[in-house]
Amino acid sequence: MCAIAAPEIFGSDEIGNAVVLIEGDLPVELEAKARRAMGNCPERAIVITE
Amino acid sequence: MTETNSLVEELLTNYNIMDPGFVREPFAKYDVIRESKCPIAHTEQMGGSWLPTRYADVVAIAQEYEIFTSREILVVPPAPGRQEGPYSNVAAPPITSDPPDHQWHRRLVLPIFSPQSVAKYEPVTKALCNALIDEIIDKGTADAAGDYAQHIPVRVIATMLGVPLEMEEEFTSWVRGVLEQGMTDPEIRAKSSLKIIEYFVAQLADRRKNPRPGDFISDLTKAEVDGKPVPDSYILGVCNLMLVAGVDTTWSAIGSSMWHMAQHPEHRKQLRDNPDLWPTAIEELLRVYAPVTMARIVDRDIEFQGCPMKAGDRVLMAFPAANRDPRQFEHPDQVILDREHNRHVAFGSGIHRCAGSNLARLELRVAIQTWLERIPEFSLVNPDDVTWAGGQVRGPRRCMVRF
Repeated sequence: MCAIAAPEIFGSDEIGNAVVLIEGDLPVELEAKARRAMGNCPERAIVITE
Repeated sequence: MTETNSLVEELLTNYNIMDPGFVREPFAKYDVIRESKCPIAHTEQMGGSWLPTRYADVVAIAQEYEIFTSREILVVPPAPGRQEGPYSNVAAPPITSDPPDHQWHRRLVLPIFSPQSVAKYEPVTKALCNALIDEIIDKGTADAAGDYAQHIPVRVIATMLGVPLEMEEEFTSWVRGVLEQGMTDPEIRAKSSLKIIEYFVAQLADRRKNPRPGDFISDLTKAEVDGKPVPDSYILGVCNLMLVAGVDTTWSAIGSSMWHMAQHPEHRKQLRDNPDLWPTAIEELLRVYAPVTMARIVDRDIEFQGCPMKAGDRVLMAFPAANRDPRQFEHPDQVILDREHNRHVAFGSGIHRCAGSNLARLELRVAIQTWLERIPEFSLVNPDDVTWAGGQVRGPRRCMVRF
């Protein structure tokens, strides 16, 4: 779901686990998408640190 | 007042999820339990079980796999002596596996269900949906469940399992024979189960003799664990699971969503006007119409949220109930197609979270999209005539629509 909500930030590996595509700080224009991905992760695997 | 109280007591201490009233309308009952003094109901019926209804409790149970084990996952234990085919209690790795074996049982099936891998099945799914609609479009009326939803997942899985095109219809009829007609007709069920087992045994033997690159069963014959080839029982178990876990679950989600769309022209319009909404809309339909409840077997005597659970007790992870918990979801009974935050548990949570979820999402989206493209206006012929299958998996069995 994260890869759908925020495809610029999340991809998936060959077994379907999410991978983070961005290195370093998240660009500010992607913040809303990141929050959306976080709010839709049933495993609460996404954590946003300020 | 006394009458209402005794109805509540009945639900809290003596529920029966196979009762026709429960099957037809479970959500109001889940609400009663969830808001009562004891949000984890108990019953001695159907072999006895516990029924947690709060999101937090269901998720905690799903996460706590050492206490809530997967040695059995059926919500109603099968009749003694019934050992064949899907919905028997034969092993169906990884759903019936506990750690440590669970890890490799799951790892070997994950690649075929990755987003990249399932994307390959979009064209065949769309072609299938269109072909099914071609059969009904001039008739003005059809069964959205029996003529549409129930044909889709089994054909897609048949493709994945390498069932040749000319055998697809027969294969589909065996699977429906077990999962649909077989629910009430033991003879059809037994015959169909046997056909399926024989078929997989033959396929396995064939793939060993004549391996096919890129074929799911062939790939499994090449897989190794601890330097040794995986056992035949694992491969047959996985094939069994693809049918048990991937067919009536998905057709139920499609059927329920079609039932919803038939009654909500405003949602059909919303999707037509905002095609970007599809991914969010699919998640919302999965939340509200989550078809699956999974069971766990308690490993040792424990007290969980004040409930004295004994070793061997069955606990029903009622994902559909968890998905309607107002503590987790605002306006939980409303389908809000652009719901912003949706941590639903239609696919479960934790180490057993549905490995096939990406495929399910794809099938659900393509099925509804294709129908709405071809038949944008439709309605239920008679809401009171819709019949529901329930228990482990809830979805419409028969849903007549007119267009």
